[in-house]
Order: sequence, then C-alpha cells, then structure tokens
Amino acid sequence: MRFALASAALRRHAARTLLAVFGVAVSAALLLDMVMLATGMRESFREFLLVSGFQVRVTPKGTLPFDSEATIEHAGAVLAALRAHPDVEAVSPILGAQVHTLRGAHALTAFAVGIDPAVQGDYKLLRGADVRAPERIVANEPYFQRTGRQLGDTVDVAAGFDPQFRSYAGRRALVLVGVGQFYYTAADQPVVAVPLATLQQMGGPSRADRVSLFMVKVRDGARSERVRRWIEATFPKVTAISTETAMQQVEERLGYFRQLAFILGAISLVVGFLLVTTLVTVSVNERIGEIAVMRAIGVSRAHVVHQIVLEAVALTVVGTALGLGLGLVTARYLNAILSDFPGLPAEFDFFLFQPAAAWRSLGLLVVSGILAGVYPSWRAASLPIATTLRREAVA
Amino acid sequence: MPLPLFLALALAQGGEGPATPRPAAPAPPRTISIDERLAANAGLRVGDRVVISAAAGGAGDTVVIAAVTRRGADPSDVARDEYRVRLHLDHLQALTGYGDRVDRFAVATRGPGAADRTLRAVNDVAFGFRAHRSADVAVGTSRTFQVVRRFHRAIGVITIVASAIFLLCILLLKVEERRRDVAALRLMGISRASVVTSIVIEAALVALLGSVLGTAVGYAGTLVINWHYQGVYRTPLTFALVTPGIVAFAVGLSLALGVGAGFAAAVRLVRTPPLALFGR
Repeated sequence: MRFALASAALRRHAARTLLAVFGVAVSAALLLDMVMLATGMRESFREFLLVSGFQVRVTPKGTLPFDSEATIEHAGAVLAALRAHPDVEAVSPILGAQVHTLRGAHALTAFAVGIDPAVQGDYKLLRGADVRAPERIVANEPYFQRTGRQLGDTVDVAAGFDPQFRSYAGRRALVLVGVGQFYYTAADQPVVAVPLATLQQMGGPSRADRVSLFMVKVRDGARSERVRRWIEATFPKVTAISTETAMQQVEERLGYFRQLAFILGAISLVVGFLLVTTLVTVSVNERIGEIAVMRAIGVSRAHVVHQIVLEAVALTVVGTALGLGLGLVTARYLNAILSDFPGLPAEFDFFLFQPAAAWRSLGLLVVSGILAGVYPSWRAASLPIATTLRREAVA
Repeated sequence: MPLPLFLALALAQGGEGPATPRPAAPAPPRTISIDERLAANAGLRVGDRVVISAAAGGAGDTVVIAAVTRRGADPSDVARDEYRVRLHLDHLQALTGYGDRVDRFAVATRGPGAADRTLRAVNDVAFGFRAHRSADVAVGTSRTFQVVRRFHRAIGVITIVASAIFLLCILLLKVEERRRDVAALRLMGISRASVVTSIVIEAALVALLGSVLGTAVGYAGTLVINWHYQGVYRTPLTFALVTPGIVAFAVGLSLALGVGAGFAAAVRLVRTPPLALFGR
C-alpha cells in the first residue's frame, strides 16, 4: 500500500520526477568519479610500485629514481652488501641512460635500462628471449615502430653524442631478441633493456661500476621499513625509499587532485540532498489536503512518514543506479584525459573502481536521500488535521 | 635533467670566518643565492656560510649566501618540492667538473625578424647546435597544463550539467507553486501573455539574484583557494580566478535556464483551465 502510494505520487508529475532522477544521477556520477579519483590514484600507484614485488628503491642521495643523472658509485660493493642482508630476498641493479639507435644519417633516441636479467623488475617479456648474453637487447613496441626493426635484427646503438663534432660514442652492435612491456616509463616512449655490464661499458669510465637505482625485494615476514633504515644508515650517499614513503611523496605532489575530489564529491552529495529535499517538500506541500484526509480517516503518522521517505529513497536509489553507469563512463573519459600527462606510465590509472569505496560513497548518497525525506515527512505527519482540512476546503 | 647539489650548513652566523681556517690569506668565498623555500626550511639567511658540493658527502666549497630569491609564478614549479640554488657559471662548472660546457644559451634578439635570422644562422652552422624559439619550447613544456586544463573543462561540464538540472528543477517547482495565483489572475481577466510575462520576469529575477549571490560566493571561494594553495605550495601563483568572462557565462547560463524554465512552466499553466488549476 505504502509503495503503491509513493509510486503514484512520483508518477503524478512524471517530468518533474524524471528531472530529479537525472539530477541525482549526475550528482551520483560526479561523486563516484571523485571517489574513484581520490582512492584510485593511491591504489593504482601502490600496484604500480609493487608490480614486480620490490618494496624499497635505493637512489643517489636526495634524488628520486631517474630524477637526475646522478648515479651510485661502487655499485658492485653496494650490491654485494645489500644481497648479504638476511631480510633481503633480491636486489635488482639498474643503470638508466639515453641511447641512440643509428640508421644512416638518422638516429632514434631511446631510454635504456641496464639490468640483471635474473632479477630485473622493470619489464615483462611479451615475445622472444631475454637479454641473457652481453650483446642482446629487448625493446618495447614504440621502439620497434619508430625504428622499423624486427626481432632478430642487429641495431647500431650508441650511448653518447658529442653535439659539437656530431659524433657518437660507446657504439655497439646489439641484437634485438625480445619485445618487452616496461612498467615505469611513458606509454609512447621508446625504451630498451640491455645487460647492465654492457650499458656500463658503453657509457665509458663515467658509468663504470655505477648504477642509477637498486630495487630491493624484502623477504616475506621481514619489515621493509627496517631494511630501508639499515640501508640509509649503512650507505650515507644513498637515499632509500620504501613504497610507503614513495606513496607519501606522490600524494604530496598530487594532493591537489585528492583535495579537488573531496571538494567536488562533497558538493555533489549536498546537491543531491538538496534536490531530493526540495522536490519532496514541494510534493508534500501540494498534497497537504490529501495527507490531512488520510490522517483524518485513521492512517497513522508512521504510515505517512514511511510513504514520504519511500518517495525520497526511490528518487535517490533510481538516480544512484543510473549515476553508477554514468559515473563509470565519465571516469573512463576523464582517465583518458589525464593519461595524456607527459611521461606517465601506461600502467598508471587516476580513476580506479574500488568496489568498497564506491559502494560506501553511493550508500552515503542513498542515506542522504533518506534524510532528505525526513523533514518533509515529519512536517506532513505533524499537520493539525482539522485546521488543514478546513483551510484546504476553503481554498 | 637537473644537477643535484648538496648543501651543508657550515656556520649559521653571517660574517664570521670560513668553515676551515686556511694558512694563507684565502680568496674571498664565492657567493650564491638560494630560494625562500630552502632559506625557510634550513633556517638560512643572507650572509650565512654554507658548504656546497656536487656529490653527497664529497669535498665542497664554502660559499656565502648573497641573496634569497623569491620564486616566480611558474606553474611547472608548483608540484616540485625542490630547492633552487644559483651559482656563478664558472663556479658551477668547476664544482661539477663540467668543464667549459653549458646546457643551453638564452639569446635575446631584436624583433621577430631577428629571431628567425638567428634561428637559421644557428641551425645552419656545421657544429651541432639546435636553436628553438622560446614559444615553441613553452608549447612543448606546457603539455602538463594543457592536460590539467582539459580535465578541468570536463569536470566543469559535469558540474554545470548537475547545477543546471538543479536550477531547472527549482525554477519549475517555483512556478508550479503559483498555480492558484495564476488561476485567480486568469479568472480576473488578465491576459495569458501578461501572466506568462510576469512569471518569466519573476523567474529571471530569481535567476539573476541567485547568480549575483553565486558570483559573490565564488569570489570568496577563490580567495580561500588561493590563500590555501599559495600557502601549501609556497608560491605566488594564482590558482583560482573569477574573470568577467566566467561571470558572464555563469550569469548568462543561469538567466537562460531561468527564463526557459519559467516560460515553459508558465505556458503550461496558462493553457490549463483556471478551475482545473484550483483543483476543481
């Protein structure tokens, strides 16, 4: 009975109800998007950092990974000491450098990582073989597209360029043996991986026994923060960054997006609440006589309150359900916009659907819909029956 | 890529002797300038002596802080929590072992024609230099802000749709509330056109007053936003701005919605028989 009455009240002004549902849907979509932005960025970055299971990054003092050209000296000794620590399961040394692939008068500049293939965590091999021998090279798809090379081809690669004499230094003939998907580089950036020793030799004396970064995997059960502190205490010329520290730093840099998400999410919640409150209040005002008659023939206050709250909940639930779909579509569009950030890895998402967070936020909107029905229903249930009936009859 | 430099505070008092006494009469220490952020975080002032080196823990030079600089309003600096230290070119070259090298030259030319000639002259020489227009470099480095701008526009469209629906609902309801007034006016012989006009004017006035109030709230919001983010990022950059164009757009949209909603609802009301509006 209550459901039928609530449904009839909403259907009486179909255009108005549709407009309100659409308004709630847009508010819900915006709220969902903002929750996806606020929580997704953090989770996406965590997944991104832990994609290969390394919890600690060791960089030259005061720098972030590949933030500058600084390198860590005596890399061999540092590597041996890190691997000897009982809490450390694996250490991946990485040297980053610009390399030039030469073809006639043209050269393609790519980012190269010198890695140890046994423990590397920078890429996933999609096709072919890994860089198990010194003169081997794995590249990503953009590299193959821009050079026009194929697996098995030999490429002429140089590690240095003197612009004054237009001459290349540290040249090597390397064989393309594999196609890799690199986790930490921009989606459209050509990237190659070569054995660490090969890249160090190509870089000459300035790169000998040096790396840009160590990635450290901590054993199960061991605390990465303890390992991080030990590294910084043992090696004064490096900075050790744990996943939590890195996330904190990124959150500081991208804090703007979280705050924007919070503000817009709160606004959409308030707009949804006000919309439903206004609509139900006006609807109740229009039906004051009808409600007074119901009360006069013995319908209880609780029944009236229940019916009006049901109207508010119906508007909110239907709007929220529509908003869920709308929000997912707009989140995809907004994510595509932010994916164009220069240098952003393809694996990184700004908008990530986190079921728990999404349901919580949409649940909050439904609760706000229930609250939106409380005031008008309380007002309707508290009507003085006789006075209202007389006033309505005269009117 | 930026070169990392490392500063160690030697003596926090300006005007006192160098960090390490030297037997012979020492050359006066070189001077550097640091930015406000470093000065505030490290408690440094003009006249303080610090040691700077190219590598962490490496031997460095004792220098005197000659100036504390304020950052310009550069959006690319906002999210970078880094310090800026300026040295004399030869000093930095010696300190980093860079030799007689520079990363780039900035060239000021006389007029646009001279800029083109200079570009051609530099790019045509045998040695491997490449000259770029500052405007082209700016386009290349401003991609981040273009992305943020597109994102803001997309978010703006969603919020405009949400607020437009809200406004439309409110105005429709407001007109609907006038059912009995309209019925009375029609029964008194007031023409349909007059009733519609009065309702549209009323809706337009409500929309206009709401827009003026919204503009005031928006302006106050920009003051809070700028105060907050300028403090967080320690920059003079303006983060939010209410421009005449934005005000015109907001007021225009609000008026259009108000007039449209008022007109649609008023026409519907005047077409309904007055007694039906009374519920008879």
